[in-house]
Amino acid sequence: MLEANETDLLAQLLSRRLLLVTGKGGTGKTSVAAALGRLAAQRGVRTLVVELGHAAVLPDLLGAAPPAAGADALRDPRPAGPNLFTLRLVPEEALLEYLELQLRVRMLARGIVGNAGFKRFLEAAPGWRELITLGKLWHMATRSDAGGAPLWPLIVIDAPATGHGLSLLSTPTVILDTVRLGPLRRNTDLVQALLTDANQTLVLTVTLLEELPVNETLELRARVRELGLGLGPVIANGVEPPLELPDAERVLERVAGLDARAAPSPLADPRALCASARHKLSRAHMHAGFLAKLERETGGLPRVLPWLEGGVDGPDGVGALARELERALSASGGGEAPAARERRA
Amino acid sequence: MKPDCWLDCRVLVTVGTGGVGKTTVAAALGLAAARAGKSVLVMTIDPARRLADALGTGPLDHEARAVPEERLRAAGVTGEGSLAALMLDTKRTFDELVERFAPDPAARERILANPIYRNLTDALGGSREYSAMEKLRQMHVEGRYDLIVLDTPPATHALDFLDAPRRLAGFLESQFLKVLLHPAAVVGRASLRLFRTGSELVLRALERITGLEFLTSISEFLLAFEEMLGGFSERAREVGLLLRDRACAFVLVTGPDLQQAKSAESFWERLQAEGVQLAGLVLNRAHVWPGAGDAPRPDASEAERAIAWLSGELAARAPELDAPRSARALVDATRAQAALARRDAGVRERLAAALPLEPEAIRTVPLFSEDVHELEALARMAGLILAEPARA
Repeated sequence: MLEANETDLLAQLLSRRLLLVTGKGGTGKTSVAAALGRLAAQRGVRTLVVELGHAAVLPDLLGAAPPAAGADALRDPRPAGPNLFTLRLVPEEALLEYLELQLRVRMLARGIVGNAGFKRFLEAAPGWRELITLGKLWHMATRSDAGGAPLWPLIVIDAPATGHGLSLLSTPTVILDTVRLGPLRRNTDLVQALLTDANQTLVLTVTLLEELPVNETLELRARVRELGLGLGPVIANGVEPPLELPDAERVLERVAGLDARAAPSPLADPRALCASARHKLSRAHMHAGFLAKLERETGGLPRVLPWLEGGVDGPDGVGALARELERALSASGGGEAPAARERRA
Repeated sequence: MKPDCWLDCRVLVTVGTGGVGKTTVAAALGLAAARAGKSVLVMTIDPARRLADALGTGPLDHEARAVPEERLRAAGVTGEGSLAALMLDTKRTFDELVERFAPDPAARERILANPIYRNLTDALGGSREYSAMEKLRQMHVEGRYDLIVLDTPPATHALDFLDAPRRLAGFLESQFLKVLLHPAAVVGRASLRLFRTGSELVLRALERITGLEFLTSISEFLLAFEEMLGGFSERAREVGLLLRDRACAFVLVTGPDLQQAKSAESFWERLQAEGVQLAGLVLNRAHVWPGAGDAPRPDASEAERAIAWLSGELAARAPELDAPRSARALVDATRAQAALARRDAGVRERLAAALPLEPEAIRTVPLFSEDVHELEALARMAGLILAEPARA
């Protein structure tokens, strides 16, 4: 297991093979996964950022080049800058690839996947998407290049949100409970060995500092631990900078007494000033409470990423978030909000 | 559909991506309907304890728990209105199905003990959606409530729960399953060769990969279910009809983030393609401008003017305070609020243009300073969604 207060958590993370980024929906998992990939690549680690399923968000987010001529758009990772690649892992395609590998006859594999009855079976049959996804990740994580070095020293996965994420991670356990012998058992054993080796695989949980995401994060981490996987830090994302207003109550009392009609600008409207300040103060209070709760219950400092005014919807935003991530992961006990750091400096 | 008509539906379904506040909106809609004198059930998938605490139901589980009367009175429910809540439990839903429909006790025990069944119903994908639909159907058929509000599992791009019944029916009717279900198909390679269909070829290839044992377990599981399968298909179709009935409507819930708004638009396309009825949209956790009129442009010279004036006023009235610093901090906070309020108003306009909804069917709920987990806050949200005139 990872030591929660490593002085250089970043180096610890980058020494792993698989980093799974998950958390409650809406917490910014995808942005964090993209930023982590960008940061790893900047640190000289050849990195593949994988998104799962049918959404194709990462190429735009990372600013990936369009697929090269002759590249297989569904199977070949797209370069997104030095050391950085991205791939969308589609279960149907991975299944076809796997069948081709196993049966060694491409036509037969295509015949199976194209079989109408099999298609309907696959549409409803539970579990295989998770299994083939993990199988493909294992395959990529264990491949070597011509010189014998790992083809992908680091794979960052934008994993599904809590519920589906846990389904994904628990699938090997289910299979191993059910299947005692045969190739499926052997393959699943290999996948499980990779997933449950904390020196190779860690699960990072992204949260917002609000009640529901925090509670869900704590439950998620408990379940991940039960499944035997190693946990990385909690990453508190989108944390608004606090309002630095000494004597806040007295100041606000005075502001409330000002005459709105005398204000030279709508930005000086006393009602707006008071409401905006109170909103910020109470959110900061709430954030502090949840930071403390996370620290208490996980035994480690959450790493705090600030809310970015420009948003994270392209390579620039990802770059900015990667810088924040570097700060949050490198600093010893880097749980401080940026404002606190600025004040000290 | 005008918001005050939403509550006349028999079933309201909240849909949206994760983290937009679907569960809270579902609870607020339920409370609003109870205040309108209806008997309401809220079905949630979210094990949020604070919601249960707020409702005073005790921990939510698979059985409907009534909100105590004194809580309802405090939240403005008068007369006939009542509110109950339950949390969907996939495993329990499947167990109940087995108990109710298994042909005999031996079959029931066989199914419940099957390792695939035990793991599959709880851990593997898709079963959550099946069970949500099944529970909805059950509660609807029982007819105890005027309105059922269903909070759906979060989905990113697909409406899995809408597909689930149809997928299940397709699965059960597939030729492939019939071959798999035939006992002879799995006793051994020799028997397998008797089948010369495409499905048989597929099975043989699969056997090479998965091992005979796994296929046998699956087949045993399916055989055990065989007697119940007809019922499954039938019920899957019933749910499909219910969701497309005029008495059922969907409420899209989204946050003000651009990605979330784009997801809401693609949800709408899916809902439209499915032929279900869209009641309206709740733009949740939006930043609103707390001052008079629309949010001003957050430009720098305007801010400097505001700071200079505020600093002067504060210095004159309270010389003991650090006026320049306070003024700057306050105006910065207000400027940030103005920027967010303008962004969120823009997202609202975008959604209004993209969705065929009357202006009053798009409801903005502001981001509260605290989490919404008290009944009072839920009541406030209910009022915003249903009563007050729409505002950007």
